[in-house]
Amino acid sequence: MVHAGPAKWGGMAFTSFHFGAFVAVVLGAYYLPPLRRFQVQLLVLASVFFYGFGQPELLPLLLVAVLGTYLCLVLAFENRAPWMPAGIVFNLSLLAFFKYKLLFVDAASAQLTGVAPVDFLLRLPLPIGISFFVFHNISLLVDLTREKRPPRLRDVFLYIIFFPQLVSGPITRAAQFMPQIAPKRLGDVAFVEAAKWILTGYFFKLYVANNLNEITAYMDYPLYETLRTQDRWLLVFLYSYQIYADFFGYSAIALGLGLLFGYRLPVNFNLPYISASFSEFWTRWHISLSSWLKTYLYVPLGGNRKGPVRTGLNLMIVMTLGGLWHGASLSYALWGMLHGLLLVIERPFLKHLEDAGPLVRIVRMGVVFLCVTMLWIFFKLPNFDHATAYLKGMFIATDMPNPPKLFYNLALLYTLPVIIQHVSIGALIERRLRRWEPYLYGALAALAFLEAGPDSAFIYFQF
Amino acid sequence: MQDSAPSWLVRCAVASAALLLAWYLATARFGPALQQPAVTTRDGSLITLNRYAREPTPDVVLVGSSVMWRLKEEYFSLPRVRNLALAGGSPVTSLEILTKRRNLPKIILIETNVLTRTPNAALIEKFSSGMSTETLLLRPVRAAVAAYETWNHAAPDPAQARAERDRLLSQPPSTFDNKVYLDRAVEQMNGDDPTAPTRANAALIGTLIDDMQRRGTRAFLIHIPFAPKIEDSRFVRTTRQIVHEAFPAPALWLPINPPMGELRWDDGVHLDERSSLLVVRAIESSLAERGDARRP
Repeated sequence: MVHAGPAKWGGMAFTSFHFGAFVAVVLGAYYLPPLRRFQVQLLVLASVFFYGFGQPELLPLLLVAVLGTYLCLVLAFENRAPWMPAGIVFNLSLLAFFKYKLLFVDAASAQLTGVAPVDFLLRLPLPIGISFFVFHNISLLVDLTREKRPPRLRDVFLYIIFFPQLVSGPITRAAQFMPQIAPKRLGDVAFVEAAKWILTGYFFKLYVANNLNEITAYMDYPLYETLRTQDRWLLVFLYSYQIYADFFGYSAIALGLGLLFGYRLPVNFNLPYISASFSEFWTRWHISLSSWLKTYLYVPLGGNRKGPVRTGLNLMIVMTLGGLWHGASLSYALWGMLHGLLLVIERPFLKHLEDAGPLVRIVRMGVVFLCVTMLWIFFKLPNFDHATAYLKGMFIATDMPNPPKLFYNLALLYTLPVIIQHVSIGALIERRLRRWEPYLYGALAALAFLEAGPDSAFIYFQF
Repeated sequence: MQDSAPSWLVRCAVASAALLLAWYLATARFGPALQQPAVTTRDGSLITLNRYAREPTPDVVLVGSSVMWRLKEEYFSLPRVRNLALAGGSPVTSLEILTKRRNLPKIILIETNVLTRTPNAALIEKFSSGMSTETLLLRPVRAAVAAYETWNHAAPDPAQARAERDRLLSQPPSTFDNKVYLDRAVEQMNGDDPTAPTRANAALIGTLIDDMQRRGTRAFLIHIPFAPKIEDSRFVRTTRQIVHEAFPAPALWLPINPPMGELRWDDGVHLDERSSLLVVRAIESSLAERGDARRP
């Protein structure tokens, strides 16, 4: 089947030096007293620059998405019944068009429809961050149409395109973000907290994720065919750590940047790999997406209020759509579906397992981690045939001559931060060694710089 | 007591700067050229070329793609052989690097099997002339792992290498069934037309050979055997025709005659270990016939 493929981000990656310069300039201007009245406008302009730096040809699309949503929002204040659904349909259509068009057309072919404007749209690449800003738009339409009057256009712009969260979230709900829009003062900035988030984020991205990315490159087709069986297993676990470090790293940087500008974005991860159930996992992994899906999809579908069969069906629908939200691929759909299935299967047993002892909890954590990790194969290999071939090879002894040599000691050293974080040694250190905290964060920064792996795009940028 | 933000940030920055300075000094003390483990093909290329740039000029150098890369240096009984073939790369990359350096080896063997890839300009720039290829700051974790690996798996001495060669030769040819991979390789090699890039690279190689010959180096072109099905593919037939048109002089070619019945390929293209050794023996034998290899 045709796969949309990851979009290439030619713009300012969070890990680039020009992004650092960009943030420094915007931050400096943002807190200048003469510009305080224009803080929102400045952030909007900076966000437009940030987005346009990578894909200037898609700026009009971003503009259309925001203005279209705003128009529906304003009209919904007069008559909510038709205009709020219209706004949602408008946004979902944008998402569906750009994300799933490649299922039906080959954008590279010389002849498409023959109608120039349509062909132009069909040839546009997947706009970076579309999945995220479309969800922001829907949240805006649902949350704010219950208010007394529509928000200002500039505030809407800021909520949707605020650059720390524009490309990969966290998906902030309008009801959480909009009340924060107010004049900000430098003295109110939580600098230490922001620095901790930013340094932790960069450390997880540069030290853990980018280095593991080099090793897990062997999972790609056709390289995985040369792997020994035990190395296939190892790489799946490494990818599990990598995708966590990559996305947690991004989210932590976004949160820290948000704090620098006076905005508190939601925490997106809470040690997901210590979850003892799949439902707990989804309260700890990509929290902003799961809570968005719960609020705007699961609950409106009836949630768990309509009996066990309907609850199971709702879970399957939500998780499958959640999978498809990541991309137009059978692998993503199956990934979501299997997570839904696991949620349905575990549901009747949860009550009985809650009172079990710590040993049972540890076993449950192991089972959840194993299942979640195995399902990441569908993320790493969105081509369904490749994913199933990889899986199959995990259970068959291989006799391929000259398998690649993987450095297990290196793999362990690069995954160690995730393991330490999850077994809460970090929290212990934080309590016992509080006075050494700035030095520890300084050491993290130095290590992230010295041992940074080769630059690679954030995994979630493609969604 | 809660630290003030400026104090916290200053201490954090000072700790970071102090560590970076300490590591800079440690790198200068222990040698920036310390070899680090190659976890990727790109790493492997950098290590290979770093080693060439650092060590005295060898007598024989091999350049090519992953096909030539399989011929390990320790398979050669000749001393001072360096394999600068780049897996996934073009022979032109290594050739350009060689010609831009002050000293050239006596003999260069150029693989002509895969000539469709463009030369790697970044590598050529990095390793050309006497430019320093050393880094200011080693990566601490990789350096530590490299030190451990070097200690744990030291390079074989000549006696060990000879024993390993004997062990490989005493084994029967592999019985690994490569049909799936071979079929796929055949399909790929009957796909795209290699004419344009191969002609361009053949022309480049011709220019570089002229330059090297003027400076006293002997350059030989060589074709490493593929599996028979691959030899019949469009890719190989076209490539062979182009390079033989570009280099018609028999003196430029190093013909080799390994025992074809004993050669095995992982995928029809890349020789397995034992077969690589057999091909190395054939190369050494051919060089000996020409009386080139051991000539001072």
